[in-house]
Amino acid sequence: MSDERPAPSRGTGEAPEAGGESPIPDEIRRANVAHWDEWTRIHETSAFYDVEGFKAGATSLWPLELEELGPHVGEGTTLLHLQCHFGLDTLSWARRGAVVTGVDLSDEATGLARRLADEVGLSGRATFIASDVYEVDAHLGDQRFDVVFVSWGAIEWIPDLDRWAAIIAMRLRPGGIFYMAEIHPIAYALDETEDHNVRLAYRYLPAPEAPERTDYDGSYADREAHVENRVCYGWAHGMGEILTALADAGLRLDYLHEFPFSVAPFFDWMEADEQRWHWLPDGRGGRRADLPFSYSVMARKPAARTSTVEPTPFDNDAGGG
Amino acid sequence: MLEEYLKTNLAWWDEAVGVHQGTELYDVDGFRRGADSLTAIERDELSPLIREGTTLLHLQCHFGLDTLSWARRGATVTGVDFSGKAVEAARRLAGEIGLSRRATFIQSNLYDLPGVLDQQFDVVFSSWGVLIWLDDLERWADVVARFVRPGGIFYLAEFHPVVFLIDDAEHAGELRLTYPYFQGREPLRFDEPGTYADPQAHIDNTVTYEWQHGFAQILTPLLQRGLRLDYLHEFPFTGLEMPFLERCEDGWQRVKGGRDDIPLSFSLRMTKEAP
Repeated sequence: MSDERPAPSRGTGEAPEAGGESPIPDEIRRANVAHWDEWTRIHETSAFYDVEGFKAGATSLWPLELEELGPHVGEGTTLLHLQCHFGLDTLSWARRGAVVTGVDLSDEATGLARRLADEVGLSGRATFIASDVYEVDAHLGDQRFDVVFVSWGAIEWIPDLDRWAAIIAMRLRPGGIFYMAEIHPIAYALDETEDHNVRLAYRYLPAPEAPERTDYDGSYADREAHVENRVCYGWAHGMGEILTALADAGLRLDYLHEFPFSVAPFFDWMEADEQRWHWLPDGRGGRRADLPFSYSVMARKPAARTSTVEPTPFDNDAGGG
Repeated sequence: MLEEYLKTNLAWWDEAVGVHQGTELYDVDGFRRGADSLTAIERDELSPLIREGTTLLHLQCHFGLDTLSWARRGATVTGVDFSGKAVEAARRLAGEIGLSRRATFIQSNLYDLPGVLDQQFDVVFSSWGVLIWLDDLERWADVVARFVRPGGIFYLAEFHPVVFLIDDAEHAGELRLTYPYFQGREPLRFDEPGTYADPQAHIDNTVTYEWQHGFAQILTPLLQRGLRLDYLHEFPFTGLEMPFLERCEDGWQRVKGGRDDIPLSFSLRMTKEAP
């Protein structure tokens, strides 16, 4: 076939340093902060987030992360939640005994999170930091966590997963767990057809230098809401990019799970089940379970630096960070 | 039923061996004269790790061109295929190009290999259109993990799961997703003239049964068996001919209309942890 060296969808490479300046351009950050500030005000009263229910004791976590990460979170577990929005999930982990730190780009979001923590009596075990995820080092000192948690529509807002993974690896204690439940890269690439089918319309593979600009009214949590700060920017991430970034940062993957249901309706005609998951209907009164809309990943920071048996021919190359 | 599926697929592959040796895609004459059968992806990613004496096991090796391409780089290779005709052809080729001493070919169903081979390898290698023939990736991962020595690697270059989702008929042009990412145990049945290497060829055994696999299904069983992920790379080009793809100057197929954002191939490398 070709004699040209193919470029992988992203470099394999050296694990970068965790610190340094944010790779998010100022103009984009300003737009996204304004967008999320406004979304926070809308989301506070949305049925989707059900803040009153949360105050009354309901968990905001989905059955997936409760089942998969729940057993690893107990009294005193230290948990760092990156891109926490206004903290419902963060505080839901705190209710289960965790000592939590939530980080979000939006001041409005972390402000609301603090107020909520107070109202539900969790201020003593919940800290919220308004920060670009890439600049979180400036706020965390030498803290290390048992668990780093990321979920649902987070990484589309950040361009560089190598640095993101390096930050996660650095903030985990040896033996600590990284857990993420997210929207599937294939789902991000889908658009609907007129006859309620789906096709690949949007980008799957990453393009760090080419953020996707969106401009639309409403929000995933309230489609009818009117939004002033409509323009926002995001980045596509492929499964290979995501998993390789974690591997390059020195994390050992325990599993990747994939699921045919979604946290939010990508299309108006998706149908919700009793657990709030959204499904593609099959047009015959049932659900399509053949395409991936969600995934979860668990990875661990090795307990100690372990060498892999005797020297091998692969020592120069294998290991990845 | 499974036995029936495998029997049907074996008949297809036995017949394909005869067809494929005369195809331009496989270019056996070129190979005899020294041409490499590997793609730029394996050459770039795996070649640097192959030295004189590296032991390499090639799972689902067809008639051994890639296996022998690794042998030409100094590896001591073992190729395994379930088709007796493929294995015979591979042995013949090895003899013709003087590589018999560093190339062994075994006829075995992949799942049965631990019963007939007792050795571990520096590298377990598999590539291009292998997973679709496997109904059970848990058992596949058992086999892979069994044959990689501690500290050794598993390397796989494959068609991306996304390629096999896209409609290949009426709605191909809009990249509509028609086939399942999550399939389950029942295979898809295809009945098509010709083979991927020569669509015009006349064949008698036209039916195949194939299983689609997503990344979780591919990766997680390997992770659970002590293989650590080094990387998963995705590429917007492939060797496969499909109605929604077009052949480019460099020989790769890409999505029509110049789109470079859809993944069509992947490669992965995993290292077996020390016990």
